[in-house]
Amino acid sequence: MCEPVISLENVSFRFPDKERNTLQNLSFEVRSGERVVISGVSGSGKSSLLYLLNRLYPENCDGVLTGNIRLFGKPAAAYTPGEICKKTATVLQDPDAQFCMPTVEQELAFTLENLEIGWTEMEAIIRDSLELTGLTPFRHAVIQTLSGGMKQRVALACAIAMQPEVLVLDEPIAHLDPHSASAFIRLLDELQKTRGWTVIVVEHRLELWEGFFERELVLDRNGALQADRPFTAPSAPPFPSKQTRAFEETALNMQNVSVSINGTRILREISFTAAAGEIIVIAGPNGSGKSTLLKVLCGIVPIDTGELAEVAAGYVPQSPEYLFMTQRVADELAYSGLSTAEEIQNSARRLGLLSIWDSHPFAVSHGQKRRVATGAMIADKRQVLLMDEPAAGQDAEALLELAALVTEQAKSGMAVVIVTHDMAFAAAVADSVLLMKDGRLSRKFRPATLWHEPDVLNAYHLVSPEGAAHRAAHFA
Amino acid sequence: MRITWYHRKERLIVQRILHDMNPAVKLAAVTGSVLVLALFFNPWTPLFFFIGTLMIQACFSRISWKRYVFFMLPFVITAAGYLWTTVVFAAETEGPVIWSWAGFDVTAEQWSRALSLAFRVLAFSSVSLLFAFTTDPVKFALSLMQQLKLSPKLAYSMLVGYQFLPLLREEFTHIRQAQRLRGAGTETGLLHRVRNIRRVLLPMLSGAVRKAERTAFAMEARGFTGEPRTVFFEPVPLTRIDAAMGMLFAALLLLSSICGVALA
Repeated sequence: MCEPVISLENVSFRFPDKERNTLQNLSFEVRSGERVVISGVSGSGKSSLLYLLNRLYPENCDGVLTGNIRLFGKPAAAYTPGEICKKTATVLQDPDAQFCMPTVEQELAFTLENLEIGWTEMEAIIRDSLELTGLTPFRHAVIQTLSGGMKQRVALACAIAMQPEVLVLDEPIAHLDPHSASAFIRLLDELQKTRGWTVIVVEHRLELWEGFFERELVLDRNGALQADRPFTAPSAPPFPSKQTRAFEETALNMQNVSVSINGTRILREISFTAAAGEIIVIAGPNGSGKSTLLKVLCGIVPIDTGELAEVAAGYVPQSPEYLFMTQRVADELAYSGLSTAEEIQNSARRLGLLSIWDSHPFAVSHGQKRRVATGAMIADKRQVLLMDEPAAGQDAEALLELAALVTEQAKSGMAVVIVTHDMAFAAAVADSVLLMKDGRLSRKFRPATLWHEPDVLNAYHLVSPEGAAHRAAHFA
Repeated sequence: MRITWYHRKERLIVQRILHDMNPAVKLAAVTGSVLVLALFFNPWTPLFFFIGTLMIQACFSRISWKRYVFFMLPFVITAAGYLWTTVVFAAETEGPVIWSWAGFDVTAEQWSRALSLAFRVLAFSSVSLLFAFTTDPVKFALSLMQQLKLSPKLAYSMLVGYQFLPLLREEFTHIRQAQRLRGAGTETGLLHRVRNIRRVLLPMLSGAVRKAERTAFAMEARGFTGEPRTVFFEPVPLTRIDAAMGMLFAALLLLSSICGVALA
């Protein structure tokens, strides 16, 4: 228990094309069996630090490393490629981009072949790893067709199969709905207890992790160690408090709409209305039809039956760059030609786009891309703004910015409909919440009352943003 | 989304033979046949080989013939095109005329050369489709590594690329839909279409590069180094069936060569 498995001494790290160090003078030790979270804002170098611990860096990016890293009592540089993987397993963030084989079994076999495990032992290891993660019935399932939560479980099963001492995870729940995320964390908790792993997680949204960790390493904006402290029950970002308002004019109205895609019924008899200036959050499990609903509202997916009142609705997809048609931010807003130069200047100023006015829309940050897309929708004279998963993978600062953006658009009279898993964000911005499951939409809930209906939340795979600290007490 | 499962389809033992055949051996048989066929200029050899290939396909595999015909159709059209152009625009016009029509005189030499070209197209395409329709991409990649000692770096790149295809198609649809909202895709005309494709490609490729990098990281974090592997969970064996099928292809090739030369 006393031998440090990882120790860093005055470690600094710089990408070859950057002038500034991404990580500054880090010194800390991690002991066997510890549960550590590395937190910090986006761009603080959290992921880079993690990649130094599993030896993906510095080789893969030709980064410049100074200081000493010792892994399992041996200098990190002394490990041959792939050697560290026998002791350190990794789970990454994107469920869609961490598998190379079609089926669950083949993916596990790929992992074991890499580690040169003998053929006779493989079957037993695969069987155990599947059993422990509850994936036995999915052994021959095609990974790409599984849900995000299941994919992350497959990644965990691969990690188990590697029989590691240390497990490192890079924002493993960023793309999961709260219910799947909680299930993933519970599973990780059990496994850590029985296997005695050292667990190191990079994460900036800590609410769902509740009391999982023992220790928190906080990186500041410059990649230096800001704090090394015992982990305390987390709270949501400090969103400004929400005032309830009254609405009059109806901006969006759909009645009994059903939609099928390729013969599969996706939406079933959906009816709802939104008022001008209202912010509506739609939540529910992955695959329940939320994204399709947004596409129906803005008219890019046709409806089979039912009625949808004609309205100019703008849509910001989860990847805002899907919308971009030009090479310059300025041209992006002017593209439709529906607004005057003066109107465009006004919205650009309001959205803070003037500083990137001549940049290529692909070359700006993710938050800025979303602002550009929003600006383009406003310039197109759209009265309704639809946003698909704008909160996924965003840090606290980006979420506050997003909340401000949404609130301001609503104030100017737009109806805003947001699909999100992030209940803390929903609680902060929503006037009403609608829940969706298997293509059906619930009635409108007031956020304040919804959080006190655990049965409803459970049924829709959600977790109340309140009381994380309370639940944390039960966790240990 | 509905989960799909990976399993061996129900087939009679005989109908499984081509599907179970070692992909490396099958590839060798197909490539060998194409190379040998290229040496013959009579119309009969490729015709016999084409018929033989269809018979092998019919006896030793179970495929959707509707799809097969659909894929074969473009090749049949190409073959007909070759036939037509070779007859009409032949450089050689010497020799006895066997028939005349609408001012064209067709000599025996011309006709035989045209048929030879057309049948060659059919023979090549049928044997290629035989491979494509009965080979599982994963098993093919595994076999390339095990029998032909292909570097795992290349073999797994191929596999990952294959996984990406459905994802890319999905992304393509999403981007098209989003851009339609901005008024793209409604213009007609070739020039506009080409410009629209370019607009879709930029976001799609930038997304693909990101995804590819992440997948590469994930693979490396699981211990993939690109070194040749020592153990395989699913060995792709060489069996007596492979030897038998290899001999069958050789026999077909020999028979069609002899008969073709004799008839010519």
